[in-house]
Amino acid sequence: MRHWTLRLAQKLLLLAALTVIGGLLCATMVRFAPGFGVDERELDARLSRSSREAIRNEHQLGVGLLAYYRGYLFGLFHGDFGNSAFLERPVSELLKERAAFTLRSVSLGLIAAWLVASGLALFSIRFPHWLVDSSATAFTGLLIALPTAVVALLCVFLRLPVFVGIALVTLPKLFRYQHNILAQASAQPFVLAASARGVSRTGILFRHIVPVSWHPLAALLGVSASMAFGAAIPLEAFSDSPGVGQLAWQAALNRDLPLITSITLLVTLVTVALNLLAGAAQEQHP
Amino acid sequence: MSLRGITRGLCFGVLGIIFATGVFAGVVTHYSYATQFRETPNGPPCAAHLLGTDSLGRDLFTRIVYGTRVSLLLAPAAALLATIIAGILGGLAGLRGGWVEKTILAAADLSLALPLFFVLIALRALLPLDISPTFSVVATFVTLGLLGWPASLRMVWAAARRLRDSDHFLFATALGYSKSRLLFRQVVPNLRPILLALFWISVPLFILTEATLSMLGLGVMEPLPSWGNLLRGSEDFSLMFENPWRLAPLGVLVVTVVCFQYILPKTGETA
Repeated sequence: MRHWTLRLAQKLLLLAALTVIGGLLCATMVRFAPGFGVDERELDARLSRSSREAIRNEHQLGVGLLAYYRGYLFGLFHGDFGNSAFLERPVSELLKERAAFTLRSVSLGLIAAWLVASGLALFSIRFPHWLVDSSATAFTGLLIALPTAVVALLCVFLRLPVFVGIALVTLPKLFRYQHNILAQASAQPFVLAASARGVSRTGILFRHIVPVSWHPLAALLGVSASMAFGAAIPLEAFSDSPGVGQLAWQAALNRDLPLITSITLLVTLVTVALNLLAGAAQEQHP
Repeated sequence: MSLRGITRGLCFGVLGIIFATGVFAGVVTHYSYATQFRETPNGPPCAAHLLGTDSLGRDLFTRIVYGTRVSLLLAPAAALLATIIAGILGGLAGLRGGWVEKTILAAADLSLALPLFFVLIALRALLPLDISPTFSVVATFVTLGLLGWPASLRMVWAAARRLRDSDHFLFATALGYSKSRLLFRQVVPNLRPILLALFWISVPLFILTEATLSMLGLGVMEPLPSWGNLLRGSEDFSLMFENPWRLAPLGVLVVTVVCFQYILPKTGETA
């Protein structure tokens, strides 16, 4: 238990270090991007010198690099991500408004995808038949062959909620991975031994194959969250849903760097935290 | 020949035809991808325009053919870049071990946890708004190549580690082979099958990612065609119902990705 607590503390420290490094990277991206500090208001001949100076100060142009980084990180740890250039509102305010929608869609999508993928994978292992195998392969193969944006358009056309789209995007990859893991476990000698002793196929599946397979499957949690967040961008953009994905898309189209870098940093932290949690859970119950 | 062998052969054939169409685009069609036939916007298929024209009066068949060249030549280039990075880093981690291995694996795990699409659009947003279409193509695929290596790295690392622990590698080291001889006579030939498999896996992934990026207006820019940006505007469902041939780029894309799935080696075939 003490070892596990130590490992968890290490992971939390890693997350904190990642926040600092990520914050610095974001600040660098904003600071050195072409056009940083350029404000068309400065072209207005009616403005006095002091007004122009005020505009330049607004963009921290006179501030040294170290002071800029310090200011950015200080703001970051106080929940201040700067202002969105094209929406002209604080980034933290925009995120607060939209995070709930995306988190709900991603959570529901992931739950649906995991349930369906696990069900399909268990079914195809329990009832191994070429028809079941080829149907599942064809279905997931077709879904994998569709770009996420096309799945998003299908969802808009069929008036399906965003979470269904997220589930459809993550489901095929989850199914294939789970199926491979379960198939590998079912080829182990202890499965053959259990079968020889007369244990039923369902018994073998739930008492011998699933307990062995859950370890690598848990590692998939963080990766599937990363996939789901990525899928949220086109799905929310095409369905005009008020989520973080749509905000990120608008920010990228309008070259709003403070907004897009802050969103990327936050989503990265969420997915990395999920990965670390999955890793810690695996270590506690190896 | 087994059913799988026949399917693979068929898929290789289809991919070969699509690839050749893209390479010899100038022979397949005599129009330019940017030529506008302003008297026939949204025109139906006819002898002059096999798949009709788009809303700007450009020949859709020509745009698909040139789009094939962009998508099917640059996605493998990006996959090659990602595979080379994964090969170098994975090989280094597997063969050197120690802190080099730990650092590279930690970096790969961290990169794997990154939401790729968010990072992609953040990097894309860094570029100026007035970049040329050619630069947008190169930037899109180079970014994909530079960010696509972590998924492949662990497999290369595992293979390199197995190689390091193998008897024949130990024997070659004991014989006093130089580092370059070890690299070119032992490491590269042994890692080649796995690197090839990873390359083939990456190509459809990059094709799909480019398609989504371009459909969102963040990938290949007009007037240069790619399968993704040819699908832009497909959210106008009434137009799609009236002109179903406008979905032809999607058909080509799906067929290509499905063919790639079938030609990929199954688990165990790369070992």
